[in-house]
Amino acid sequence: MQVLLLSLLVALLGTGAAVNAEPVVVVNAASTTQQLRQDEVINIFLGRYRSLPSGGGAVPIDQPESSALRAEFYRRLVNKELNQINAYWSRLIFSGRTSPPLQASSASEVIQLLVANPGGVAYVERSQVDKRFRIVLEFPR
Amino acid sequence: MKELSRALSALLRPRGVLLHSTLAVILASTLAALVAVGYTAHATSQRAYLASQTRLNELLDTIEGTLAVACFAKDQTLAGELAQGLLSNSDVLGVSIATGQETLTDMHRGQSSGPPAMLLKRQVYSPFDRHKQVGEILLTPDPLVIEARIREEVWFAAIQLSWQLAMVTFAVVVMMLLFIVRPMKAISDRLHQMDPAAGERLATPQGHASTEIGQLVEDINALSDRLVSALATERKLRLQGEIDEKRYHTIFDNAESGLFLIDSQGLLTSWNPAFARLFSILPQPLPNDPFVLTIGQLPWQSPSQMSELVRSAVEQNQAVAQDFQYVNPQGQLNWINMVLSPVGDNLLQGVVHDVSRLKESEAYARRQVITDSLTGLVNRLGLEERLQAHLQEFAATKIGGFTLLMINLDEFRQVNEGMGLPAGDNILQSTTSRLSACIKSEDTLARLAADNFCIILSGVTQGEVVERIANRILQAIRQTYFVDGSPVNLHASIGITLFPNDGFDVPMLLRQTELALDSAKSAGGDTQVFFDPTLTEAVEYRRHLESDLRSAIQKNELVLFFQPIIDLNAQRLSGAEALIRWRHPTRGLVSPDSFIPLAEKVGLIAEIGLFVVDRACQQLLSWKNQGLDYTLSLNVSGRQIPDRLSPDMLNSVVQRYGISPDRLALEITEGVMLHDVEKSLQWLGAVHRMGFRVYLDDFGTGYSSLSYLKLFPVDTLKVDKSFVQDMQDDSNEYKLVAAIIAMGRGLGLEIVAEGVELKSHLTALKRMGCHYAQGYYFSQPVPAEEFAAAAARVAELLAQPET
Repeated sequence: MQVLLLSLLVALLGTGAAVNAEPVVVVNAASTTQQLRQDEVINIFLGRYRSLPSGGGAVPIDQPESSALRAEFYRRLVNKELNQINAYWSRLIFSGRTSPPLQASSASEVIQLLVANPGGVAYVERSQVDKRFRIVLEFPR
Repeated sequence: MKELSRALSALLRPRGVLLHSTLAVILASTLAALVAVGYTAHATSQRAYLASQTRLNELLDTIEGTLAVACFAKDQTLAGELAQGLLSNSDVLGVSIATGQETLTDMHRGQSSGPPAMLLKRQVYSPFDRHKQVGEILLTPDPLVIEARIREEVWFAAIQLSWQLAMVTFAVVVMMLLFIVRPMKAISDRLHQMDPAAGERLATPQGHASTEIGQLVEDINALSDRLVSALATERKLRLQGEIDEKRYHTIFDNAESGLFLIDSQGLLTSWNPAFARLFSILPQPLPNDPFVLTIGQLPWQSPSQMSELVRSAVEQNQAVAQDFQYVNPQGQLNWINMVLSPVGDNLLQGVVHDVSRLKESEAYARRQVITDSLTGLVNRLGLEERLQAHLQEFAATKIGGFTLLMINLDEFRQVNEGMGLPAGDNILQSTTSRLSACIKSEDTLARLAADNFCIILSGVTQGEVVERIANRILQAIRQTYFVDGSPVNLHASIGITLFPNDGFDVPMLLRQTELALDSAKSAGGDTQVFFDPTLTEAVEYRRHLESDLRSAIQKNELVLFFQPIIDLNAQRLSGAEALIRWRHPTRGLVSPDSFIPLAEKVGLIAEIGLFVVDRACQQLLSWKNQGLDYTLSLNVSGRQIPDRLSPDMLNSVVQRYGISPDRLALEITEGVMLHDVEKSLQWLGAVHRMGFRVYLDDFGTGYSSLSYLKLFPVDTLKVDKSFVQDMQDDSNEYKLVAAIIAMGRGLGLEIVAEGVELKSHLTALKRMGCHYAQGYYFSQPVPAEEFAAAAARVAELLAQPET
């Protein structure tokens, strides 16, 4: 019941965030990476490089397809709509040299993946950030 | 068809218009085509290159998005796909895509053999950031493809131009055939057969009425017209010329004047019969005669003058004329007049005619002009000519001086007037022969006027020789002349000048001679005077005197002196003779002998005469007022009679002063009456009738013609002082005076003896019964204010006892 309630709350919050979503880029608190520049985030998320400046592989994690946070993230990152991002990936996918970010099925899965993956780089709602994560990039308002 | 073949043959004519024009058109078109093709090639290559660039750029544009993705993601597969796609375009020879670090792909299609073309390079930007470069693409265009396209275009243009050229050439040839060659050929054919003289003219080819061909036909026709008319005119002129030539030939042959043609060397080329007759040569120059005749070979008196005339006609290139003497066929010397006129072509046309008769009458007329008809001597004109000739000769040779004598008969005027003109002429003729006898044949004797003769003594300049000749002349004239049996004695005065001493031109010589003559006359005549410069001074003196005299009357310089006349019977002073004197401001008292002749000469005598009458009357009035009944006599010169001192003038003066005319006596000389007897008689008669007394002055010195005494109304005779002064007992003068007094008394005339200087004179005169006496014994002439004193002296003298 507690879980259900929490989920509901998260769902509520999630929907609230859809209106007022404010994504921040975070890494596992165990990571050595302290800060990322916006272009470094672009390179990681759009498949140009898959490594962190501090060394070690970078695993970008995307929010679910329909997530409002995802749309807001790409809008803030590269000023593109999600369909444009999808078209981009569709040109690259079949050559197989690079791949899109890891696709989480939900927001919680994003957190799980991030906790489980020391090289993970994700974007979450600011309110969801806790001591397990470290904010490496905030988008100016 | 036939026409066409003919036109073609014209086309093939090597120097024909058509061939020339066609070749020119082809050459010009080919040149134009080459330029056009060259330009087209250049422009096409430019265009093709640009087109290829544009196309490649467009290709790049279409793949730009994908290319950006490939470069961003460094996706070689994607880049290879893109390159493959680009290479499928024929323009593209190679594609190379690279990011900053690595080459994504580099593909080429085959190997290009052409020159390396310009690479097309484009930078590729990140799809997420338009400012971030993520790579670049290099496209290599295929030059062969571009060249092929250019070649194709040029080829097409060349073919098109060739076609156009062919068409234009064909059109030009056809047009020229139709519009130029054919009508010209037609005109040419027609011209060959045409006879313009028969009025045939070219027809304008059809359709060419207003073209240049039509104009040409009109011009040719106009030219034909002009040529035909010029030919007709020339034919007419030639006919006229033939007629004229015949006519002129007739004139030439029948002319009275001699006509001839000579060349500038004087060679006679043709002459007419009249010319032949003049010089007795062949009537015509013989054809092919080797013997040439020049104008100078004719029998001229002086052939050099003739060649001179020919030369001057040639040099001046205008007509010249001169008279020539030649020996005619009869051997006589004749005159001809010749006019030479240049007629061009170095020829001179000459006209000659006989002027001998003209020359004779000319010479005769000339002689007449310079000859005095009475004596046959040369006249003044002739003399001047001779003098001129002498002067010129002297100027040329500096030798040949001469002496000029001017001779005048002293008493000729009296003879002429007293004895008539025929007598005068007679004397002149005698004088001529006498003078001729005194000179040599080379001397000249001339008669200038009346009794004025001149002699030029050629080559004589020595004074003593001249004097001898002059004396001979004086002697010759002194010989008694006989006119109708009556003896006449004459004398001559001679003026002499020597040339070149005394003058250097004719008027001057004549003037000087005349001066010398005047001087001889003034000296009393019957003498000779050589000119000397003082004579000129005398003339100067006279001239000054003359101008002074004119002002003397206004300045009151003329005064009357009075010389007492004594009545011997009554032993008292009865009156006086009024004598004029001139108190000249610088010369003192001038005697009337000096200025009265001058006054007569310059016309002042009338004024002076009246002045004298006026003053005399004034004096008479003064005496009358003093109770003195003196009479006054005054001298009247011949020049005053009859008009300058007319009886009326005299009368009006005495009337004005209220003087009785019998108080006034007029003294005249015999010469006065001789001057013009009729008029003098009338004047004398008139004044005598008015009551004026008439004295005959200087009686005894002139002709003392007794018939005149009878004729003239004379009251008193004045015996000339020369007789009285020389009176001595039983001398001739004494007897003469006695005779005159006796005669006067016999005729009932009163007698005044002048020149009484001694008491003995007075005694003798009284004894002879003379009425009146006048002279220095009693008194010299005195001014009016001294007359009373003189009268007192006279009274004293009269009171002296006779011894």
